[in-house]
Amino acid sequence: MLQRFLDPATLASISSLDLVAKTVVDGFISGLHRSPDFGFSQEFAEYRAYTEGDDLRHVDWNVFARTDKCFLKRYKGETNSQLLVLLDTSASMGYGSGKVNKLEYARFVAASLCYMASTQRDAAGLIIFDEDVKNYVAPSTRQGQLFRLLHAIEKAEPGTHTDFSKPFVHFQNFLHRRGIVIVMSDFYADPDEIVKTVEPLRYRGNEVVLFHMLDPQEIKPTFKDPVLLFDLEETTKSLEVSPEYARHEYRKRMDAHIETLRSKTRGAGMDYFLMDTSRPLDECLREYLQVRKGRM
Amino acid sequence: MGFLTPWFLAGTVAVGLPVWLHLLRKHKTTPLPFSSLMFFEKRTQSSIKHRRLRYLLLFAARALLVLLLVLAFAHPYVRQSVVASARSGEVTVLAIDNSLSMRTGTRLSEAKSAAKSVIGGLRAGQRAQVLAFGSRVQVLSEVTDDHGALNAAVDSIEPGDARTSYGELSRSLRSISTSLKLPLAVELYSDMQQTGWPSNFNDLRLSAAIKLNPHPIEAKETGNFAVENVVAPRRVYDAKKTRVLATVAGFANKKATRTVSLMLNGRVTESKQVEVPENGRATVEFLSLDVPYGRNKGEVRLDTGDALPADDTFYFSVERGDPRHALFVQEATGSRAHVFFKAALEAAGQSAFEIDQATIDQVSNVSPAKYAFVVLSDIGAVPPTFETALKEYVRSGGSVLISLGHLSMSRSKVPVTGDAIQETRYAGREGERFQTAAWLDASHPSILKDDRWEGVKFYQTIHVNPGSGRVVAKLSDQTPLLIDQQIGEGHVLIFGSTFDNVANDFPIHASFVPFIELTARYLGHLDAGPAMVLVGGFGELRDSKEKGAAVDVLDPKGERALSLEEASKAQNIQYTMAGFYDIRRPNGRNELVAVNADRHESDLTPVSTDSVTLWQNTAQGTASAGTTSTGEDQKPVSLWWYVMLAVLLLALAESLLGNQHLSVDKEAAV
Repeated sequence: MLQRFLDPATLASISSLDLVAKTVVDGFISGLHRSPDFGFSQEFAEYRAYTEGDDLRHVDWNVFARTDKCFLKRYKGETNSQLLVLLDTSASMGYGSGKVNKLEYARFVAASLCYMASTQRDAAGLIIFDEDVKNYVAPSTRQGQLFRLLHAIEKAEPGTHTDFSKPFVHFQNFLHRRGIVIVMSDFYADPDEIVKTVEPLRYRGNEVVLFHMLDPQEIKPTFKDPVLLFDLEETTKSLEVSPEYARHEYRKRMDAHIETLRSKTRGAGMDYFLMDTSRPLDECLREYLQVRKGRM
Repeated sequence: MGFLTPWFLAGTVAVGLPVWLHLLRKHKTTPLPFSSLMFFEKRTQSSIKHRRLRYLLLFAARALLVLLLVLAFAHPYVRQSVVASARSGEVTVLAIDNSLSMRTGTRLSEAKSAAKSVIGGLRAGQRAQVLAFGSRVQVLSEVTDDHGALNAAVDSIEPGDARTSYGELSRSLRSISTSLKLPLAVELYSDMQQTGWPSNFNDLRLSAAIKLNPHPIEAKETGNFAVENVVAPRRVYDAKKTRVLATVAGFANKKATRTVSLMLNGRVTESKQVEVPENGRATVEFLSLDVPYGRNKGEVRLDTGDALPADDTFYFSVERGDPRHALFVQEATGSRAHVFFKAALEAAGQSAFEIDQATIDQVSNVSPAKYAFVVLSDIGAVPPTFETALKEYVRSGGSVLISLGHLSMSRSKVPVTGDAIQETRYAGREGERFQTAAWLDASHPSILKDDRWEGVKFYQTIHVNPGSGRVVAKLSDQTPLLIDQQIGEGHVLIFGSTFDNVANDFPIHASFVPFIELTARYLGHLDAGPAMVLVGGFGELRDSKEKGAAVDVLDPKGERALSLEEASKAQNIQYTMAGFYDIRRPNGRNELVAVNADRHESDLTPVSTDSVTLWQNTAQGTASAGTTSTGEDQKPVSLWWYVMLAVLLLALAESLLGNQHLSVDKEAAV
């Protein structure tokens, strides 16, 4: 039932971004509540026999009382992981064949992730960029961080064209701690160049995830008649495109592009996730988290 | 190939619509934004080429659809050759004219012989029917292939006295064709008399299933003399005052002298020579008609010796009788009203009535029953016994004419009827010098048609409340002047003025004579029927009170014209042959009816061949060009249904084609 409200078009009608994030995240978290080991925070991993030198604080005294043996309780991961969302606001992100364009969808996703991190007391930050860094909210767990993030996300508007090389050089400077970096973009560039530009983020032990935001019309364009298309980032550039070309040749090229980007990012140890803006938001997030859980 | 409604072909300009839609309309391309063109290539030429190729078939289908629709509205047809004998189930109809003109020479026997030869030539199983026609069509046989029955039917045709009516024949043929639902081949044997042609050519129209083959019998202009008309009185009271006027007509004749004889009861009483001009008419007058009492057969016979003797005799019936008495009651003897009334009756011609005058003092013991009618001319007091007798007389069918003057004002009611006398009107006292008759009921037997009593001045009138009576005449101030009151079986006519030239000047006007004559005839029950009727006319046998009573009718041959059942039930009879019909009614009202053939039949001029061809073509569509020398008929066959079928199929193909294009787009949308 809730799925109906998580349709991107429905969410677009909600003006408050925090409400959107809350609606999305609360919905699927409550839906996944039975899973005991799920999420970013520290979780129980295993019991280990006590050896000398171990910190007695980790001894599980309840087990000792029952078995008369000392076992240490070990946890998976460490707490206070950091989430940094890199949101591309180039002009091409303003494209949308439906009610929601790619940037709006990306804003919903970013807001949801920030909200999710905030509920887990993780530090969350945001960089908004197009050909340059437009806005930066440093990761933090301070009071009011979520609202700063949401405010920054809300202000994000389509800008000029994308240039990964320029802003990504600066990103290195913003990453002081190891954490998760999520890059949201439509990645209209050569996959090799993208991977080459993004890959350095991973060198500091960051987990890098590429959210490839694409409109269904970009994946499978449907034109009944030949159309004259102009580029959103370069408005002077236009082409008359036949439906047959869009139906066959373009799809092949786009599929190849997605596949190349996917394989190259994964080859580089990064994670890749294709986000179709026509799909319900929570469904995309759920799928992403499932994949992420699989890796962990 | 032709078109029944070629004007619709102008609709072909509608083909321009698909042409404009597909070829001329500029395909406006609205630029669409797209996120990136990095995966697109410019292939404009191929796309436009493909678009044109894809829609060319649809364009052709749509253009053809419009053309076929226009064609359907134009109603195309083609001429198809149909071999005449190949018409399946065709029935041969032998129509033989037996009108009066066919009595000329041997025309009828020739026609019958020709018809028999056709019967002899019929194939085995080929069916035929025999008709005889004059003014009516007689079906003489069933539709049969029995040659014996058909020959017998032809043999049974006898010459008639009726008038030819080709319109009636056409109507009957249409009716037969409709009821049989089979094509008819009509073999027409007639002298093609022009006078048999209807005034409206549309009456000759034949249906498409009828094929007419006229066989003119001696169709040439033949000279003929005929007694065209005879004017003779139906009743004679004084033989010396009666005259007979006969008109002799010549048709296609040369100037000739002929002998005309007046015959009474088969005996020639008088003969005269008359010179008939070329194609003209001459009149003969016989100054006396000395017939014995009773019903007499009169004839005017022409001694011509021409080919058609049937029209040389004209029959009329005449009845000799004594004048009937009418009682004229007045206040005192020597009144001017009596003089004027009697003079008017005598001036009318034959004296059918004799006026017996009496004063009011003399009528106490007079029985009105022996009079044809009674006139009460401006009388005051009426002896009660006489008034009672008058009332009884009227109830039993007698008639009374009452004129009201100043003496009548002593009474408050009109005698006999009891209608209230309201007032006396003197025109002079009321500012107008006289009144005139403003309205006359022309349908009343007392009023001569088209007579308006013009110039008649009424100075004094008595206003009577008409009650349930019929107002026949009104004055200019709407006062009823003449009222017809029916009491029992009889009538009382109340005239609101006098006949004495004092209260009005009616008696000295010409319209007074026909008024008095017609009124006398009406009141005396003296009907003025014609002395003769035409063949084909009808006569009344009985009225509503004589139901069940047998009426004997003897036809001119002396045979009973009615069966026993008809004699007791038939309301009327149609006179089918010329001569005298003797009608004997149970109430003793016997009648001798003279019946004459229609003299239109005397004109033997045949109709032009062009007209006959036109008549044929009413069945076969267009002119004789339609019939080829090989005996084939060019029959128009409508292509409308085929065109509409093609339209339907094409519309289906167009929608399928359109759907296919749509499905391509849908596929692209997936």
